[in-house]
Amino acid sequence: MSEKREKMKRKTDATIDAFKSQRLRWVMGRSQIKMEVEEEKYKKAVDAIMHDEVERSLITGALKEKSALTVEELSKMTDLQPSVIVQHIIALRRNGVIAEAGEKNRQFLYKLV
Amino acid sequence: MAKDVFGEKGQQEFEPVIVAYCCNWCSYAGADLAGTSRFEYPTNIRIIRVMCTGRMDPTLVLEALNMGADGVIIAGCHPGDCHYQKGNYIMEKRFEYIKKAVQSIGIEPERVRLEWVSASEGGKWAALVREMTEQVKALGPSPFRVTGNSK
Repeated sequence: MSEKREKMKRKTDATIDAFKSQRLRWVMGRSQIKMEVEEEKYKKAVDAIMHDEVERSLITGALKEKSALTVEELSKMTDLQPSVIVQHIIALRRNGVIAEAGEKNRQFLYKLV
Repeated sequence: MAKDVFGEKGQQEFEPVIVAYCCNWCSYAGADLAGTSRFEYPTNIRIIRVMCTGRMDPTLVLEALNMGADGVIIAGCHPGDCHYQKGNYIMEKRFEYIKKAVQSIGIEPERVRLEWVSASEGGKWAALVREMTEQVKALGPSPFRVTGNSK
């Protein structure tokens, strides 16, 4: 499988996982309820959440594949900036999805809980 | 779904596989009418009947593309005609996000289409399938298509 195709496949799997996530489903379901939020603002919020969830699914997908990884390794696998990965790690740790799993080359390793 | 359609020499014309999710009350009946009225349309379509387009989860579209479908049609009742009152309105809103997701993956958004076909529009259904087949043929095979044995 070519590298480009593999990356697309990984992103598709992450997007499918994102659409299965409770957060995105909940916010998309809100579209049927009369809201006090302007439609444009709501759409922007859904876009941002969808974007976040896909990136988080890419991270959890990489951790599923390789048990424990550092931010640098995650960045290589997912093509995301380390700063973006750190932000998602904070959220994923807070939600109890991932946890620290020791150190490697003076960097924290992370694994799925 | 993802069969090799290029033949032995790999030179034959590309025949796309298009998955169509049709709502039970309008579009499926429309497709049925196209058949009974003997309208001719390409055989590239694979129809899956769902009770309502409002029941369609975005993951169904993405899974179909992931499994090698070259295009996906979602066909439902015309706005205001939904058997469940607002299923097609739900789909219309959801479809925006499906398109964005498909585009962000790197797949051409033209491979996914939402159309309204009523039970009396057999001709429209046949024309839609013809048009979509031509459109997908012009785009070429899906990046996920398996060109070896079927998946």
